[in-house]
Amino acid sequence: MKEYTEKIREIAKRLLNDGTVDMVIGFRKGTLPMMNQPHIATCTDSADELMWDSNCGLNLANYVTDRKEKIGIVAKGCDSRNLVTHVIENKIKRDQLYIIGIPCSGMIDHHKITAMFDTDITSVKESGESITISGNDFSKKLIKQDVLCENCAACTHRNPVEYDELVADLVEEQTDVDPYESVTEIESMDAEEKWNYFEDLISPCIRCYACRNACPLCYCPTCFVDESTPQWVGKSQDPIDVRTFHLLRAFHCAGRCTDCGACERVCPMGIKIREFTKKLNKDCLELYGWEAGLSLDERPPLDTFKTDDPDEFIK
Amino acid sequence: MAENEPKIISFLCNWCSYGAADLAGVSRMEYPSNIRVIRIPCTGRMSPKFILAGLNQGADAVWVSG
Amino acid sequence: MKNFLEHTGIEPGRLHFSWISSAESTKFVDVVKKITHEVKMLDPANKRYVKTEPKVD
Repeated sequence: MKEYTEKIREIAKRLLNDGTVDMVIGFRKGTLPMMNQPHIATCTDSADELMWDSNCGLNLANYVTDRKEKIGIVAKGCDSRNLVTHVIENKIKRDQLYIIGIPCSGMIDHHKITAMFDTDITSVKESGESITISGNDFSKKLIKQDVLCENCAACTHRNPVEYDELVADLVEEQTDVDPYESVTEIESMDAEEKWNYFEDLISPCIRCYACRNACPLCYCPTCFVDESTPQWVGKSQDPIDVRTFHLLRAFHCAGRCTDCGACERVCPMGIKIREFTKKLNKDCLELYGWEAGLSLDERPPLDTFKTDDPDEFIK
Repeated sequence: MAENEPKIISFLCNWCSYGAADLAGVSRMEYPSNIRVIRIPCTGRMSPKFILAGLNQGADAVWVSG
Repeated sequence: MKNFLEHTGIEPGRLHFSWISSAESTKFVDVVKKITHEVKMLDPANKRYVKTEPKVD
């Protein structure tokens, strides 16, 4: 990962120096282990803070929405797909962007690691495929592959789809994974089991909206949860209100979600929010043969009409 | 109540189904009275919010027709 | 939307879509009858999505 960091800094400095971009969006070391922060570097000094490791799971596409400047942005597979989605949705122009592509080998799941230990973790060091977790009185070595985020473990688009420059050679894509395993499992349940499954899933939700804020797709000026005339969804913790929020949030991402996992990553309660969006992704793939953010020239399925669209649901 | 009389919230497009409903009325055709009609300017006005709001305020079912 | 609601546990018969032209009053009547019939078949106790008063513990 050190090579990545150095290469990112080198590219960022070059771009800032020759005026190709006004800023470079990337990550810097966070104050807590496994919590890297988004960082906007506007001068070569601050470009030295840029870095890369396996804790850069947030989606940087979130920070380019409606910007007017020329932007250099560090993008792994999912970020680049979200940048494509942004371009398609006219939230940014492609020629404003200089995409620094990161061939990604997956991000580690901090929920999983925190749950493994009883005491606080003070440092997480990474070398190659192993990760050393240490706290005040312990130190443990883990294999990175075992603690990957669920979406990374089943990711089929690790390489950026759109980029101007790469920091390293492309990595091999995974082909033997099924991202929709849990969806298939839920599909086989009956209505009541499904209802109860989701009831359990969202019961810890505290409606902090972190998932919405971390999501690069959620850029509406006024979110439906903040609308008050009329009020579509109650602000309480009533299970129905919580469910309405999750259903509508997920549905707004239909055909746009790239399964970057930012929502799950930021959830303070560790809710598997992707169970909602994954179903919609699977439907989009099965009904329209669509995966979000793979091409700049194709319109998403929910804003086009084709004569061969499936319509069994209409009588 | 002897029989289950469900409430069905119907979102009808002004130009299509609403017209059909009007014609059905003018032609004095009989149909069940369980539907509660809401006219929308076009089915494009439809939003998932409406469906969920209908259901969580007590509708038995929602029907969208263009 | 229909697929998705069913996926999260709302019964299939609670959301219907149809397409009727303004000249098709007979189709309108047929569809209303059919939907009403289908909804009557559902158990009213299964109206899970209705919001009740907030619980106070």
